[in-house]
Amino acid sequence: MWAGILCEMTEFAVLFAVYFVARYFFPQEFRAGPGQLSLLAGTLNTVWMITGSYFVVNAVIAIRENRAAASVVFLYLVFISAAAYMLTKYLEYKWNIANGVTVKNSAFFTVYYYLTLTHVVHVFWGMLGLVWIIFRTHGGAYSATYHEGMESFASYWHATDTVWLIIFPLLYLLR
Amino acid sequence: MTHRKTVTWLWLVLIILTLSGSLLGERAEPGYFLIFFVTLSMAFKGRMVVDHFMELKNSHPLLRNLMQAYFYVLPLITIISYILSTARL
Repeated sequence: MWAGILCEMTEFAVLFAVYFVARYFFPQEFRAGPGQLSLLAGTLNTVWMITGSYFVVNAVIAIRENRAAASVVFLYLVFISAAAYMLTKYLEYKWNIANGVTVKNSAFFTVYYYLTLTHVVHVFWGMLGLVWIIFRTHGGAYSATYHEGMESFASYWHATDTVWLIIFPLLYLLR
Repeated sequence: MTHRKTVTWLWLVLIILTLSGSLLGERAEPGYFLIFFVTLSMAFKGRMVVDHFMELKNSHPLLRNLMQAYFYVLPLITIISYILSTARL
Protein backbone atom coordinates (compact mmCIF):
# COMPACT_ATOMS: atom_id res chain seq x y z
CA MET A 1 0.00 0.00 0.00
CA TRP A 2 2.80 2.43 0.86
CA ALA A 3 4.33 2.03 -2.60
CA GLY A 4 0.94 3.09 -4.03
CA ILE A 5 0.63 6.03 -1.63
CA LEU A 6 4.15 7.29 -2.42
CA CYS A 7 3.36 6.99 -6.16
CA GLU A 8 0.21 9.05 -5.59
CA MET A 9 2.16 11.70 -3.66
CA THR A 10 4.81 11.79 -6.41
CA GLU A 11 2.17 12.14 -9.12
CA PHE A 12 0.66 15.14 -7.33
CA ALA A 13 4.13 16.60 -6.64
CA VAL A 14 4.63 16.72 -10.43
CA LEU A 15 1.26 18.44 -10.87
CA PHE A 16 2.14 20.95 -8.14
CA ALA A 17 5.42 21.63 -9.96
CA VAL A 18 3.35 22.42 -13.07
CA TYR A 19 1.26 24.83 -10.94
CA PHE A 20 4.37 26.64 -9.64
CA VAL A 21 5.94 26.98 -13.10
CA ALA A 22 2.65 28.16 -14.65
CA ARG A 23 2.17 30.65 -11.81
CA TYR A 24 5.59 32.15 -12.55
CA PHE A 25 4.89 32.55 -16.29
CA PHE A 26 1.25 33.69 -16.00
CA PRO A 27 1.10 35.80 -12.80
CA GLN A 28 -1.93 37.87 -13.92
CA GLU A 29 -4.00 34.78 -14.68
CA PHE A 30 -3.14 33.21 -11.32
CA ARG A 31 -3.96 36.46 -9.50
CA ALA A 32 -7.38 36.70 -11.17
CA GLY A 33 -8.29 32.99 -11.36
CA PRO A 34 -9.29 32.11 -7.77
CA GLY A 35 -11.82 34.97 -7.68
CA GLN A 36 -13.77 33.28 -10.47
CA LEU A 37 -14.06 29.97 -8.62
CA SER A 38 -16.65 29.05 -6.00
CA LEU A 39 -14.86 29.45 -2.65
CA LEU A 40 -17.89 27.88 -0.97
CA ALA A 41 -17.47 24.71 -3.03
CA GLY A 42 -13.73 24.56 -2.25
CA THR A 43 -14.38 25.09 1.45
CA LEU A 44 -17.12 22.44 1.54
CA ASN A 45 -14.85 19.95 -0.22
CA THR A 46 -12.15 20.58 2.39
CA VAL A 47 -14.68 20.02 5.18
CA TRP A 48 -15.86 16.73 3.55
CA MET A 49 -12.28 15.47 3.14
CA ILE A 50 -11.21 16.33 6.71
CA THR A 51 -14.44 14.91 8.15
CA GLY A 52 -14.12 11.74 6.06
CA SER A 53 -10.57 11.28 7.38
CA TYR A 54 -11.85 11.77 10.93
CA PHE A 55 -14.47 9.04 10.45
CA VAL A 56 -11.81 6.71 8.99
CA VAL A 57 -9.68 7.12 12.13
CA ASN A 58 -12.72 6.32 14.26
CA ALA A 59 -13.49 3.22 12.18
CA VAL A 60 -9.94 1.97 12.80
CA ILE A 61 -10.12 2.78 16.53
CA ALA A 62 -13.46 0.90 16.78
CA ILE A 63 -12.16 -2.24 15.07
CA ARG A 64 -9.11 -2.24 17.36
CA GLU A 65 -11.59 -2.36 20.25
CA ASN A 66 -13.33 -5.27 18.50
CA ARG A 67 -16.45 -3.16 17.89
CA ALA A 68 -17.10 -4.18 14.29
CA ALA A 69 -20.67 -2.79 14.22
CA ALA A 70 -19.44 0.67 15.30
CA SER A 71 -16.62 0.45 12.77
CA VAL A 72 -19.12 -0.24 9.96
CA VAL A 73 -21.18 2.81 11.01
CA PHE A 74 -18.06 5.01 10.79
CA LEU A 75 -17.22 3.51 7.39
CA TYR A 76 -20.71 4.40 6.13
CA LEU A 77 -20.11 7.94 7.41
CA VAL A 78 -16.87 8.02 5.40
CA PHE A 79 -18.87 6.98 2.34
CA ILE A 80 -21.41 9.76 2.95
CA SER A 81 -18.56 12.30 3.26
CA ALA A 82 -17.02 11.02 0.03
CA ALA A 83 -20.40 11.14 -1.76
CA ALA A 84 -20.88 14.72 -0.48
CA TYR A 85 -17.43 15.58 -1.88
CA MET A 86 -18.40 14.13 -5.27
CA LEU A 87 -21.75 15.93 -5.31
CA THR A 88 -20.11 19.24 -4.37
CA LYS A 89 -17.52 18.78 -7.12
CA TYR A 90 -20.25 17.98 -9.67
CA LEU A 91 -22.23 21.10 -8.69
CA GLU A 92 -19.04 23.18 -8.74
CA TYR A 93 -18.16 22.09 -12.30
CA LYS A 94 -21.77 22.68 -13.37
CA TRP A 95 -21.63 26.17 -11.81
CA ASN A 96 -18.28 26.79 -13.54
CA ILE A 97 -19.65 25.86 -16.97
CA ALA A 98 -22.77 28.01 -16.43
CA ASN A 99 -20.46 30.94 -15.62
CA GLY A 100 -18.14 30.36 -18.56
CA VAL A 101 -15.27 28.98 -16.47
CA THR A 102 -13.74 26.37 -18.75
CA VAL A 103 -10.38 24.71 -19.19
CA LYS A 104 -9.53 26.96 -22.15
CA ASN A 105 -10.03 30.27 -20.29
CA SER A 106 -6.45 30.61 -19.03
CA ALA A 107 -3.42 28.68 -17.77
CA PHE A 108 -4.86 28.92 -14.25
CA PHE A 109 -8.03 27.07 -15.23
CA THR A 110 -6.09 24.45 -17.19
CA VAL A 111 -4.10 23.71 -14.01
CA TYR A 112 -7.29 23.93 -11.90
CA TYR A 113 -9.14 21.30 -13.94
CA TYR A 114 -6.06 19.10 -14.25
CA LEU A 115 -5.41 19.08 -10.49
CA THR A 116 -9.01 18.81 -9.29
CA LEU A 117 -10.09 16.15 -11.82
CA THR A 118 -7.04 14.05 -10.94
CA HIS A 119 -8.01 14.36 -7.27
CA VAL A 120 -11.60 13.36 -8.06
CA VAL A 121 -10.26 10.20 -9.74
CA HIS A 122 -8.22 9.37 -6.61
CA VAL A 123 -11.25 9.89 -4.37
CA PHE A 124 -13.23 7.60 -6.70
CA TRP A 125 -10.58 4.84 -6.35
CA GLY A 126 -10.78 5.36 -2.59
CA MET A 127 -14.57 4.96 -2.67
CA LEU A 128 -14.22 1.65 -4.53
CA GLY A 129 -11.76 0.48 -1.86
CA LEU A 130 -14.10 1.74 0.83
CA VAL A 131 -17.01 -0.35 -0.52
CA TRP A 132 -14.76 -3.42 -0.35
CA ILE A 133 -13.69 -2.61 3.23
CA ILE A 134 -17.34 -2.11 4.30
CA PHE A 135 -18.21 -5.45 2.68
CA ARG A 136 -15.32 -7.19 4.48
CA THR A 137 -16.10 -5.59 7.85
CA HIS A 138 -19.78 -6.59 7.51
CA GLY A 139 -18.64 -10.12 6.83
CA GLY A 140 -16.56 -10.22 10.01
CA ALA A 141 -13.21 -10.32 8.20
CA TYR A 142 -11.62 -7.79 10.57
CA SER A 143 -11.08 -7.99 14.32
CA ALA A 144 -9.00 -6.38 17.06
CA THR A 145 -6.04 -8.58 16.09
CA TYR A 146 -6.46 -8.58 12.29
CA HIS A 147 -7.34 -5.38 10.46
CA GLU A 148 -4.40 -4.60 8.18
CA GLY A 149 -6.71 -4.22 5.18
CA MET A 150 -8.69 -1.49 6.89
CA GLU A 151 -5.50 0.29 8.01
CA SER A 152 -4.17 0.19 4.44
CA PHE A 153 -7.37 1.77 3.14
CA ALA A 154 -7.20 4.37 5.94
CA SER A 155 -3.64 5.35 4.94
CA TYR A 156 -4.70 5.78 1.30
CA TRP A 157 -7.70 7.88 2.30
CA HIS A 158 -5.60 10.15 4.54
CA ALA A 159 -3.01 10.60 1.77
CA THR A 160 -5.79 11.70 -0.60
CA ASP A 161 -6.98 14.08 2.12
CA THR A 162 -3.50 15.60 2.57
CA VAL A 163 -3.28 16.25 -1.19
CA TRP A 164 -6.55 18.19 -1.07
CA LEU A 165 -5.19 20.22 1.88
CA ILE A 166 -2.59 21.56 -0.58
CA ILE A 167 -4.87 21.90 -3.62
CA PHE A 168 -7.43 23.99 -1.72
CA PRO A 169 -5.21 26.94 -0.75
CA LEU A 170 -3.27 26.89 -4.03
CA LEU A 171 -6.37 27.13 -6.22
CA TYR A 172 -9.02 28.86 -4.09
CA LEU A 173 -7.19 31.13 -1.62
CA LEU A 174 -3.91 32.41 -3.07
CA ARG A 175 -4.53 35.49 -5.20
CA MET B 1 -5.76 12.14 26.42
CA THR B 2 -7.05 9.12 24.48
CA HIS B 3 -6.41 8.80 20.77
CA ARG B 4 -10.13 9.25 20.10
CA LYS B 5 -10.20 12.55 22.02
CA THR B 6 -7.00 13.75 20.34
CA VAL B 7 -8.38 13.19 16.84
CA THR B 8 -11.71 14.77 17.77
CA TRP B 9 -9.98 17.95 18.97
CA LEU B 10 -7.76 17.87 15.94
CA TRP B 11 -10.76 17.56 13.60
CA LEU B 12 -12.26 20.64 15.24
CA VAL B 13 -9.00 22.62 14.89
CA LEU B 14 -8.67 21.60 11.22
CA ILE B 15 -12.24 22.71 10.48
CA ILE B 16 -11.73 26.05 12.27
CA LEU B 17 -8.47 26.66 10.35
CA THR B 18 -10.21 25.80 7.07
CA LEU B 19 -13.10 28.19 7.71
CA SER B 20 -10.69 30.93 8.90
CA GLY B 21 -8.62 30.49 5.74
CA SER B 22 -11.74 30.77 3.57
CA LEU B 23 -12.86 33.89 5.41
CA LEU B 24 -9.42 35.45 4.93
CA GLY B 25 -9.34 34.36 1.28
CA GLU B 26 -12.70 36.07 0.77
CA ARG B 27 -12.07 39.27 2.76
CA ALA B 28 -8.32 39.95 2.88
CA GLU B 29 -6.46 41.80 0.17
CA PRO B 30 -3.86 39.71 -1.67
CA GLY B 31 -0.53 40.11 0.08
CA TYR B 32 2.10 38.63 2.35
CA PHE B 33 -0.18 38.26 5.40
CA LEU B 34 -2.55 36.07 3.38
CA ILE B 35 0.25 33.99 1.88
CA PHE B 36 1.91 33.37 5.27
CA PHE B 37 -1.36 32.44 7.01
CA VAL B 38 -2.38 30.14 4.17
CA THR B 39 0.98 28.36 3.88
CA LEU B 40 1.46 28.00 7.65
CA SER B 41 -2.05 26.61 7.90
CA MET B 42 -1.32 24.23 4.98
CA ALA B 43 1.87 23.00 6.68
CA PHE B 44 0.22 22.58 10.10
CA LYS B 45 -2.88 20.78 8.78
CA GLY B 46 -0.87 18.39 6.63
CA ARG B 47 1.54 17.51 9.42
CA MET B 48 -1.27 16.93 11.90
CA VAL B 49 -3.06 14.57 9.48
CA VAL B 50 0.21 12.69 8.88
CA ASP B 51 1.04 12.37 12.59
CA HIS B 52 -2.38 11.74 14.14
CA PHE B 53 -4.82 10.59 11.45
CA MET B 54 -2.30 8.45 9.54
CA GLU B 55 -0.69 7.62 12.91
CA LEU B 56 2.85 8.01 11.57
CA LYS B 57 4.10 9.87 14.65
CA ASN B 58 5.52 6.70 16.20
CA SER B 59 5.82 4.76 12.98
CA HIS B 60 8.75 4.01 10.66
CA PRO B 61 10.88 7.20 10.51
CA LEU B 62 11.41 6.93 6.73
CA LEU B 63 7.67 6.98 5.99
CA ARG B 64 7.02 9.73 8.51
CA ASN B 65 9.90 11.88 7.25
CA LEU B 66 8.84 11.46 3.62
CA MET B 67 5.25 12.46 4.37
CA GLN B 68 6.29 15.29 6.71
CA ALA B 69 8.76 16.60 4.13
CA TYR B 70 5.84 17.16 1.77
CA PHE B 71 4.47 19.72 4.23
CA TYR B 72 7.77 21.52 4.72
CA VAL B 73 8.83 21.64 1.08
CA LEU B 74 5.52 22.50 -0.63
CA PRO B 75 4.60 25.45 1.64
CA LEU B 76 8.13 26.81 1.16
CA ILE B 77 7.91 26.49 -2.63
CA THR B 78 4.44 28.07 -2.49
CA ILE B 79 5.88 31.17 -0.76
CA ILE B 80 8.82 31.39 -3.18
CA SER B 81 6.56 30.95 -6.20
CA TYR B 82 4.15 33.59 -4.87
CA ILE B 83 6.97 36.10 -4.32
CA LEU B 84 8.49 35.45 -7.77
CA SER B 85 5.15 35.63 -9.60
CA THR B 86 4.09 38.78 -7.70
CA ALA B 87 7.36 40.44 -8.73
CA ARG B 88 6.39 39.85 -12.38
CA LEU B 89 3.00 41.58 -12.09
